[in-house]
Amino acid sequence: MTDAALASDAAQRRGLLDWLLVFSLPLLMIVMELSVYAFAPRVLSLRNVVNVLDQSSYIFVFACAQMMVILTRGFDLSLGAAVSTVSVASALAMTGLAKTGSPDAVVVAAGLATGLGVGALVGLFNGGFVSWLAINPFVVTLGSLNICLGLSTTISGGSPVFNVPDVFSRLFYNGVLIPGVSIPITIAIVIAVALYFLLNYTIFGRSLYIIGANPRAARVAGLPSRRYLFLAYLTCSLLAAFGGLMLTARTGSGEPNLGGSLMLESIAAAVIGGVSLQGGVGGVGAVVFGALFVTMLSNSMDLLEVGGYIQQILLGCVLILAIFLDRLRRTRT
Amino acid sequence: MTFADPAVAGASRAAQAARDKGPLLELAGVSKRFPGVVALDHVDFDLRHGEAHVLFGENGAGKSTLINIISGTYPPDEGAFTYQGEAVGRLTPHAARLLGISPVFQEFSLAPELTVEQNLFLGRELTRGGVLDRSGMKAKAKAVIDLLGFDLEPDRKVRELSRAHQQMVEIAKAFLADVKLLILDEPTASLTEAEAEKLFSLVDKVKASGVGVIYVSHRMREIKQIADRITVLRDGRKITTVNAADVSEGDLVELMTGRKIEVLFPHIEAHPGEKLLEVEGLTLANRTVCDVSFHARAGEITGVAGLVGCGKSELVRAVYGLEQVEAGAVRVNGAVVTQPTPSGLLKRGLCYFPSDRVAEGLALGRPVRENASMAALDLPAFARGGVLRRASERQAIQSIANRLKLRPPHIERAVANFSGGNRQKVLLARGLTRDINVYLFDEPTVGIDVGAKTEVYALMKELVATGAAIVLVSSELPEVLHLSHRVYVMHRSRMVAELTGAEINEQAVLSRFFREDAAEPSPRGAPER
Amino acid sequence: MSQALPRAATPSFSQRLLRVYDSVGFLPVVLVALVVVLALFVPRFLSLQNVLNVLRSSSYLVIISAGQMMVLIVGGFDLSVGAVVPLASVVSALTMVWANGVAPGQTAVVVLLGVLAGLLSGLAVGLVNGLSVAFLRVSPFIVTLGSMSIATGVALLLTNGIPVYGMPKAYVDGFGRGLWLRLPPAVYLAALIVALVWFMQNFTKMGRYLYAIGGNFHAATVSGVRTKTYLVLAYAACSLLAAVSGLGLTAQIGSGQAVISAQLTLESIAAAVIAGVSLKGGVGRVEMVTLAAFFLLILTNAMDLLRVDPRIQTIFLGLIVVFAVALEEIARRRTSVD
Repeated sequence: MTDAALASDAAQRRGLLDWLLVFSLPLLMIVMELSVYAFAPRVLSLRNVVNVLDQSSYIFVFACAQMMVILTRGFDLSLGAAVSTVSVASALAMTGLAKTGSPDAVVVAAGLATGLGVGALVGLFNGGFVSWLAINPFVVTLGSLNICLGLSTTISGGSPVFNVPDVFSRLFYNGVLIPGVSIPITIAIVIAVALYFLLNYTIFGRSLYIIGANPRAARVAGLPSRRYLFLAYLTCSLLAAFGGLMLTARTGSGEPNLGGSLMLESIAAAVIGGVSLQGGVGGVGAVVFGALFVTMLSNSMDLLEVGGYIQQILLGCVLILAIFLDRLRRTRT
Repeated sequence: MTFADPAVAGASRAAQAARDKGPLLELAGVSKRFPGVVALDHVDFDLRHGEAHVLFGENGAGKSTLINIISGTYPPDEGAFTYQGEAVGRLTPHAARLLGISPVFQEFSLAPELTVEQNLFLGRELTRGGVLDRSGMKAKAKAVIDLLGFDLEPDRKVRELSRAHQQMVEIAKAFLADVKLLILDEPTASLTEAEAEKLFSLVDKVKASGVGVIYVSHRMREIKQIADRITVLRDGRKITTVNAADVSEGDLVELMTGRKIEVLFPHIEAHPGEKLLEVEGLTLANRTVCDVSFHARAGEITGVAGLVGCGKSELVRAVYGLEQVEAGAVRVNGAVVTQPTPSGLLKRGLCYFPSDRVAEGLALGRPVRENASMAALDLPAFARGGVLRRASERQAIQSIANRLKLRPPHIERAVANFSGGNRQKVLLARGLTRDINVYLFDEPTVGIDVGAKTEVYALMKELVATGAAIVLVSSELPEVLHLSHRVYVMHRSRMVAELTGAEINEQAVLSRFFREDAAEPSPRGAPER
Repeated sequence: MSQALPRAATPSFSQRLLRVYDSVGFLPVVLVALVVVLALFVPRFLSLQNVLNVLRSSSYLVIISAGQMMVLIVGGFDLSVGAVVPLASVVSALTMVWANGVAPGQTAVVVLLGVLAGLLSGLAVGLVNGLSVAFLRVSPFIVTLGSMSIATGVALLLTNGIPVYGMPKAYVDGFGRGLWLRLPPAVYLAALIVALVWFMQNFTKMGRYLYAIGGNFHAATVSGVRTKTYLVLAYAACSLLAAVSGLGLTAQIGSGQAVISAQLTLESIAAAVIAGVSLKGGVGRVEMVTLAAFFLLILTNAMDLLRVDPRIQTIFLGLIVVFAVALEEIARRRTSVD
């Protein structure tokens, strides 16, 4: 068989089943919304739709963070715990400064600096051990998960840090930047555009895909893979920290358990959307879909008044389903 | 040059006798398809008792698929499979072994953390009342190893063994059971002459007791020595089955490739210039290379020949920065390289093409364009300030793909969709994306079809004509001998000879191995790649 | 050239010493050193009460780590062990309470039913994990992450977060908190399990097959090993052992808890890694895992005695795991050809 014949034959077979797999997610979303509509018509109301979009911005940011490292065949188990630490640390910094009567700008800056600083430290830890010492990212981030857990409960004393300055919340949550578009959505869009550019138009982004597809090949080709792998983890933690600041702005307090089930949700969102666990596959578009799906799911569950514990069970099931889908997708290409 | 050798004729007589017993194995109209590929297309094949039947063909011809079907790795999509006169239904590797079908594949199936003995019995452990019969297995293991005359320690973990010893374990596995059908897939790839001879005498011994042997090889010398009959496969189809005595080497090559290849290797003129690569006293931390010195000059091809595992691969990898160097000096384009790293050497104009393109060379899931440009992203033509210049990248890679005759020339397609030969072209394209004047080719034509091979050689000729220095590392002796202008011979991690001009011939190279083996005992069991 | 190559000379003393070191590492030495140091410098370390506590806690960790080890050997990972423990706890406690209502006074039956229910719940999780990994061929990391979420959710759902009281006194006092022949029953249980696992690893086909599956999956398949079956067995065994541990802990605590010891997963992995079980699979010995579990718990105990805040201990644990793996990786690089 000539190469050309081989290639076209393969392409044809791929087209039919792939079409189904590619559209499975949007199809699923439509099916889900329609079924929920039958029981709770509120689901398609403008208010709810806007609410879902708002909610999904947060999970979008966290899923993007995970995407950075999943692309390189890793994951970040510490994401949720790091978010908690970020929340508590930044809240403490801000409330502390606010009490001394510092001007708003300084307070906000301190909050940002502390939050992002914590994110940077976690990213440095994760990235350092994963890239320079080539340790399984699972173990490293499992370790940093526990470290962050310990840190967040220690520095907060176990209880929330209240009275985060309003100015902070206004900036990152309920202020007005672009009339009609909430701040979280704006931030999400900005991050989406920035990441799209990063992943598709920079050496860093290109390298992430290659490292995920074949780390040894990246090394042989002379790509500074260790440096970029490190940066992937750093970016992940910084994005997560930023998301943590957004969440803190929303709750108005530093919560030592803010991260909660974020780790699971962010991985689920990324994988469901199409970021493959095998590495080297996936992009911002995939994360958008995944984040929307996960949010729609939990929104539907809320409207149907399904209990929190059951939602947790459902999330686990959805995750397993997602990786099964992922496997199907991979074997088809 | 025919195979009408008295020894062979004698074997044929024995085979004639066995023929009367009816075939041991018969495949009729067997086909096998994989996604996008027809690996076997209505192939007929039969094996007689006590015969050595060689499967001959290029890579991708279907040899692997055929022996995998016979040994039960997967079933045929169509066709009849008869073994010892009875039709065979769904066969699993385990069931095949119970039937006496013992395959020895190129890719070893050994558990690295288990010992030799544990690997020998994997899947067929001896038990007494549900518990492992350790003493029983130990005794049987020793018996088999002694029978084969291999020097294996049953209690060593497989990962500590050299590749040659691992192959011995694979072969011992095959002989452990009650063998009726032995399949050997390129078994001598990492064996020394002595070990290969031992294997051949073993094959003779089992043939005499009625065992059918399927032998996959493309080394003419072996085929000449062993074969009773030869089946030639091409593109998944059986071309013919002939008696070894009735066919010549030239006939075989023609049957295999489907065309008269007068000259497989182009004549490449050498215009030796200055030394572009100089290596002195190189020793690696793991001792796979000991005190090796060599140099490569512009405008000529410097070959490095040697058996698998001699260290020639490690030598060029070390120059490129992929192995840990303990001592020695490397100079590229006149400048000393203190800490070799791939990116550093690329910048100095030296490019290395790894031997295992799937494991180390290519990101199969990414498009051709990305794979080809991977090594040049630091150049202004491809990126500025960390930002990629996609349009200019596309143009550059497309023109290189056209130059190398990539088939099909679609650079946005994932590399996984291309055949071995074209994948190799994608890898080689890297060397054309930047200013390179020293090329290190490591087993460049493994697993690619003859057409692509010719194109690779043509590329080498072009590069040499522009004044580049090429170092050709290859276990394929004919390849090294025909293409190189100077040949270094490595044996057991040392450089044992440098041959030029008329000295470059098979006899001269092989004799160097014998001389060295006779002179000193080998460092046995040294871990190798 | 027809001489056979000479057989290797018998290894010298130093080579043999190196082989021993290679196989057991420095763990036994470090463990002994740790005990000695603590005995000398930390008061109350050698007190009877403390020793019994350490033995009891170590036993639970040993049991869980033995299970985690099996999964690691086949090249997988089990994140759900930390969730199976509370699940088994809750299920067994609820069953015992129900059984007590149905057949009051019949302690043996009540306990038996409760234990069975608890074990079954663990087995169920293990089967989900194993079947998904073996047949759906999906990443064990994510499957166990998912089943962890499901198990936790179920445990919370069943109890609404409230502890379940009402288990038979005999069970709690006799098995959970009592002493048999001066030692906590948990120790005997752990010893039995370690012996069984040790036997499995060294004297049965399953032992070899687990190493083969983790070491070279392709080799195992081609050799006719029923890889799917053994994968499922490994995950099922792991969750079952976690359930056993959960039952023991429940007996000791005296009530069914949906939230127990959240860092058990990390501790089990830590113990395995310190014991030299490779994260890549194919390597691991239960004797070493036992020592490692003891090591970890003695360390934790020392920190408790020194009044180190448990939250800070969590931080330490995370650091220890990461550094242990780092050391292993560095050592590995020194000795192997990459």
